[in-house]
Amino acid sequence: MTRSRVRGGAAVAALLLALTGCGKIDNQQQPSGGGNSADNRAVKSGGTLRIALDGEPDKLDPTLARTLVGRNVFAAICEKLYDVNEKLEVVPQLAAAMPEVSSDGKTVTIKLRTGLRFSDGTTLDAAAVKTSLDRHRTLDGSQRKSELANVKDVTVTDPATVTLGLAQPFAPLAAVLADRAGMIMSPAVLTAKGADFGTAPSCVGPFKFATRVAQDRIEVVKDPNYYDAAKVKLDKVIYRSIPDANTRFNNLRSGDIDVVFNVSPINVDELKGMSNLRLISTESLGYQGITVNIGNVAGVGKAPGTLAAPFAGPFATEAKVRRAFMLTIDRDSLNRTVFRGQYAPACGPVSPASQLSSDAAQACPKHDVAEAKKLLGEAGVQTPVKVSLTVVNDPDNRRIGEAVKSMAAEGGFDVQLEPTEFASSLDLTDAGKYQLYRIGWSGRVDADGNITPFVQTKGSQNVAGYSDAEIDQWLNDARSTQDLTKRKELYGKVVGKLQQDAPLIYLYRQKNLTGVTSKAGQVKEFGDGIIRVTTAGFVE
Amino acid sequence: MNRYLARRLVESIITLFLATVVVFLGIRALPGDPARVLAGEESDPQAIAEVRASYGLDQPLPVQYVRYLGKAFTGDLGTSVRTGLPVTEIIAGALPVTLELAFLAMLVAILIGLSTGVIAAVRRRGPLEWASNSVALLGLSIPNFWFGQMGILLFAVLLGVLPASGFVPFLDDPVENLRRMIMPAVVLGSAIAAVIMRQTRSAMLESLTADFVRTARAKGLPRHQVILGHALRNSLIVVTTVVGLQLGILISGAVVTESIFVLPGFGRLTLDAVFTRDYPLMQGVVLITATAYIVLNLLVDLLYSVIDPRIRVGGAAL
Repeated sequence: MTRSRVRGGAAVAALLLALTGCGKIDNQQQPSGGGNSADNRAVKSGGTLRIALDGEPDKLDPTLARTLVGRNVFAAICEKLYDVNEKLEVVPQLAAAMPEVSSDGKTVTIKLRTGLRFSDGTTLDAAAVKTSLDRHRTLDGSQRKSELANVKDVTVTDPATVTLGLAQPFAPLAAVLADRAGMIMSPAVLTAKGADFGTAPSCVGPFKFATRVAQDRIEVVKDPNYYDAAKVKLDKVIYRSIPDANTRFNNLRSGDIDVVFNVSPINVDELKGMSNLRLISTESLGYQGITVNIGNVAGVGKAPGTLAAPFAGPFATEAKVRRAFMLTIDRDSLNRTVFRGQYAPACGPVSPASQLSSDAAQACPKHDVAEAKKLLGEAGVQTPVKVSLTVVNDPDNRRIGEAVKSMAAEGGFDVQLEPTEFASSLDLTDAGKYQLYRIGWSGRVDADGNITPFVQTKGSQNVAGYSDAEIDQWLNDARSTQDLTKRKELYGKVVGKLQQDAPLIYLYRQKNLTGVTSKAGQVKEFGDGIIRVTTAGFVE
Repeated sequence: MNRYLARRLVESIITLFLATVVVFLGIRALPGDPARVLAGEESDPQAIAEVRASYGLDQPLPVQYVRYLGKAFTGDLGTSVRTGLPVTEIIAGALPVTLELAFLAMLVAILIGLSTGVIAAVRRRGPLEWASNSVALLGLSIPNFWFGQMGILLFAVLLGVLPASGFVPFLDDPVENLRRMIMPAVVLGSAIAAVIMRQTRSAMLESLTADFVRTARAKGLPRHQVILGHALRNSLIVVTTVVGLQLGILISGAVVTESIFVLPGFGRLTLDAVFTRDYPLMQGVVLITATAYIVLNLLVDLLYSVIDPRIRVGGAAL
């Protein structure tokens, strides 16, 4: 090694050390302010938009798909019977109008747009819709089965009309059809590919599937068969999988990526301070919280019962203890300390952004340590009340766990944190082998999807093993009526009861934080957390 | 030599078979069910049971193993539970990325490690030895993830001279391929360079005081010929062993490096497969890794006999 090389190496090392010491790069740029989803700058034709997702999408098969990142890819290649607008109202997409519901609520008629073609060039008609809906309802392993459980049959009324027969009136149906259950696949490709449809999906969309390299990228290209192809400006969109938030952010800063999904709250202030980047921030429909094991004795889907040691305890038997625990948590402080104030405190499952939100649904018991201690006294339990909290073993969850432990200690609780690898935590909690579990839900447009599966006695995701006849009835009533006011009232009552019984302790609501290069325009994201690129492009 | 080679091959096949058993059982001993992990937050028990059945995960373990082994013999490693893509296709896509990364990292490591090791031995107790030792210490003590992040900040974000991430196949665009691989290769190769440097230095120090080097000097051979032709060549036995062992470390080191630089390689694939409990993919990657280890060990054994003929003679006598 020559002397000059040694000096060069030392200089680089010194610079690296200096960078570490600084913690962030100060580029002396002026803040551009926060963002929202409205960006109507004119864009030019052509170009490739590179989007970094925070994980690898699963199968690109609308029947089998389960991940939020996968929904982002579907937004470009698979349109649905219905969609949501920026106000989170359900609006027709492949359907010509909102569904017509019979007076008894058991027959739903959907009129379709005509002249639409799949990416393989075949025509979308009522028969194609029936093929897809029947596949969603019946295919082994279908994730749409439970969403469409109320649909008894699908009938082709005429080439542009399908009729759905329901077992029970089901108000959330349009919202359900505004997600993957409403995606219509090309029957020709379904026949040709069968179970491998996800390897080369074909739907109606502004873009069509081009290629996929496992754990790296999915490429979609402009589809000339799309009915609104003139509005599509980009030639290509590349979805890359970059799980680490810092790496995603660095790729955005370096210009290797144009759009970053799920920006970490830690990076938000820095992003806002960069003039060549902007932030899209929308209210999420989901929630993050703590699930309490009340009666999950034999696993999800089994009848709730009485817990045995070591999971039994006052948390399972005494609502006052659970309420006391809830009152010890200072949600504002949690948001500030763990998420730099970027998220929003939440006390219930209904997002303020939801069409079904109400004052009752947004009621929030205040942080009150004195009241918590009083409730523990009334419950007659010995303090400190010991309880274990299972948290997924990642930095965010460990920080939340520590904060909750510290806050709860002030109110008379001794929380033992159980950091657990994600896959193992799912197994343990599904089987009922836990006391408290820190988990969340990404959210659905209709509030029913954010409540019923989790707290109804026979809910498919009732990990808490919770059972309450009133709640069950209110949720069924809310599903059965199309009256928005009545549904709001019922969900308000449900939230009130949930706050009393506390089978789930809601903590905060994430925001959908998306970083975008200023060069890209008309990239949209609504409260459903899906990045829409139909009209996106590079600014002129 | 042939008998020796045949025996080593039989041993390797038995080892590989045992590896498949251990891998198969080990993966299933992990808590976490692939169908449940795949479901994520959408944990509909009926759908989970159906997914489990569709991959044969509801069958007894011996049945699952025999099916797996039968298919593996025909080159069919199944399909990924998560993406639905064939495992062989996924691995075939990931392997070249890691092999290229490993090759370039090893190249970097050997170039830096050998040269600094020789210099440190020849210029003992001088500033160059001190500098070489310092570089080796830094290489050993700086974790890959930190070194990688700093490299990205400096060369991609601040200077904008190299891309922050991604992979372009060499045949598609050789220049772009190397631009994207240079940082990962240096990051991954730095720690190995340090190990090679230390081993080269100590082996060279021993060789330089050996009788055969003294003899070479006494014969009046030029200094560079004594150092490179005699001392270094003799030291290469030790260094080759280290390089062989480090090849295994390269694969595990690639997990971190590929994650930092978002390379669709084998290391990252392994990590993802474990976290998602993607049994077919995990079985595939571990089977390939085990095969690679066994083949590499075999090659290193054979390389010994090329470098040192005494081993070949010994082998023939077996």
